Amino acid sequence: MVRQSTGLLFVLPALVVLAMLIAYPVFYTGLLSVTDQQGAFVGTNNFAAVLGARATPQAFWNTLWWVGGSIVFQVILGVATAVLLNQNFPGRGIVRSVTLIPWVIPGIVAATTWAWMFHTEFGIINYMMTAPGLIEAPIGWLSNRDTVLPVMIAINVWKLFPFVAIMVLAGLQSIPNDLYEAARVDGANFWHEVWHIMLPQVRPVIVAVTLLLVIWGLNSITIIYAITRGGPANLTLITPIQIFRLAFESFQFNQAAALSVIFFAVTIVVVFIYIRYLASSPAEAK
Amino acid sequence: MSSLTTTDTPTRTGLGMPFIIVGAIVLVLVCLFPFAWMALSSVKTLGELYTVPPIWWPASPTWENYRTVLFESNIPRYFLNSVIISVGSTGLALILAIFASYGFARFNFRGKSWLQSFVLIGQLLPTAAIIVPLFITLRVLGLVNTFWGLILVYMIITLPLSVWMLTSYFKAIPVELEEAAIIDGASRLGVLFRITLPLSLPGIVAVLVYAFVTTWNEFIFALCFATDSSVKTLPIGLAEFSTEFNTDWGAVMAASVVMTVPIAILFFSMQKLFVGGLTAGATKG
Repeated sequence: MVRQSTGLLFVLPALVVLAMLIAYPVFYTGLLSVTDQQGAFVGTNNFAAVLGARATPQAFWNTLWWVGGSIVFQVILGVATAVLLNQNFPGRGIVRSVTLIPWVIPGIVAATTWAWMFHTEFGIINYMMTAPGLIEAPIGWLSNRDTVLPVMIAINVWKLFPFVAIMVLAGLQSIPNDLYEAARVDGANFWHEVWHIMLPQVRPVIVAVTLLLVIWGLNSITIIYAITRGGPANLTLITPIQIFRLAFESFQFNQAAALSVIFFAVTIVVVFIYIRYLASSPAEAK
Repeated sequence: MSSLTTTDTPTRTGLGMPFIIVGAIVLVLVCLFPFAWMALSSVKTLGELYTVPPIWWPASPTWENYRTVLFESNIPRYFLNSVIISVGSTGLALILAIFASYGFARFNFRGKSWLQSFVLIGQLLPTAAIIVPLFITLRVLGLVNTFWGLILVYMIITLPLSVWMLTSYFKAIPVELEEAAIIDGASRLGVLFRITLPLSLPGIVAVLVYAFVTTWNEFIFALCFATDSSVKTLPIGLAEFSTEFNTDWGAVMAASVVMTVPIAILFFSMQKLFVGGLTAGATKG
């Protein structure tokens, strides 16, 4: 009906911008990773330097804990919240709006506010735990090696579980009522409904949202950088922060590029495996 | 319980009311408390901030922290920078997304599905992996520490999802409306601006809110590409605030409130449209 070129003309400006900002840098990262600062080809030297650094494996495991730990709790709490908000109760609209607050608040604001609440001496959290005797002495949440990463994960969970909740809630609301009625005829109670109707029906939403959470988790730098800058002693160093430090604090652009390439490759493998094995498997629970 | 007694309002075997009420209260407290604590801390005096045990309610609320933030810090400047950059990149993303989405929704051309997935890949890209080459590119173009640099770079995070959301909105508009207008002699652009856009207003609003909120909150690109105080954005300013003032927590909390207010107003005034636009993709797709 219309000429081929018309459609292309419409999408071209956006594509040019994205190609310039995505395709070119991706290609350029590869180039930087195998050259030195003068642009001479150095093979895998940068990769060897990066992989040999002591911080690299630590950042890798921290990133794994950070992303994995965040997602598990974000999904569990998000789904539980969605099920709760799908019930009928007075004031539901207000509760739904309030639930969105952590997600809407800028990440940096969440970081500073929680950092103040976790303050060792004057933080409200230590007070709330010491007053009823839950803990004996105030804990240095952000300096103790056993608590600092879990605290970061907890803040991240708080920030993003509302997003899971609204997406899953939208999925729950689109479940046809017949399914519940059929289950009720069979004598199902509430937990049966959750397990056999709600969860299987919202499975595609959960799968899609989890993929987004993986990517956001790998990208997120705000909370950790603002609170600990990756410290103390690299305990909260995640790979994105390591890339940033290499490039903008040590000015090792080529090593940073090599680390980016590794990070990029791992991300693609993770996303690919995820899509292959989770997103495409049929809903077996029926 | 028999099917004969079915009423119009669907009854569900829900959770017991006590469960729901306890759950809802816990949920509200968890979501609201840090926000409330931030607001309370921002009006406390130094003495009230640094006491053990903490004071819940300030006895004599003070605006001192806000005065510090508004008149003795760089925060107002950063606020203005954030507004310029967010408005600029939101506008640019919207314009580019409108045309691209219309092209994807209404035309067939070679490689369309391939190009569509290329656009989406942008959303899946680990942004930390491209900060180095982006920085070098911006440096070559002379765009480091400029508004344009950040506005352009923010296309990476706003454009893909905007195109995706708008495409599904445009597709939902009956094509017959446009065909009728074309028979009446309207041009393609005329159709787009007079018929398609007004009909997809909720989608436009969703894209606007999404793009504005994302760029307003963005951290890592701003951290790398805007290091001069003339272009620094609020998130970076806030992150620095702790060192700049040797962590004056009252002022940090006041600055946090200042940064949150525009987003809160924007989001909650457009909440229905935005959440509707966002979740439509999830449940239809």
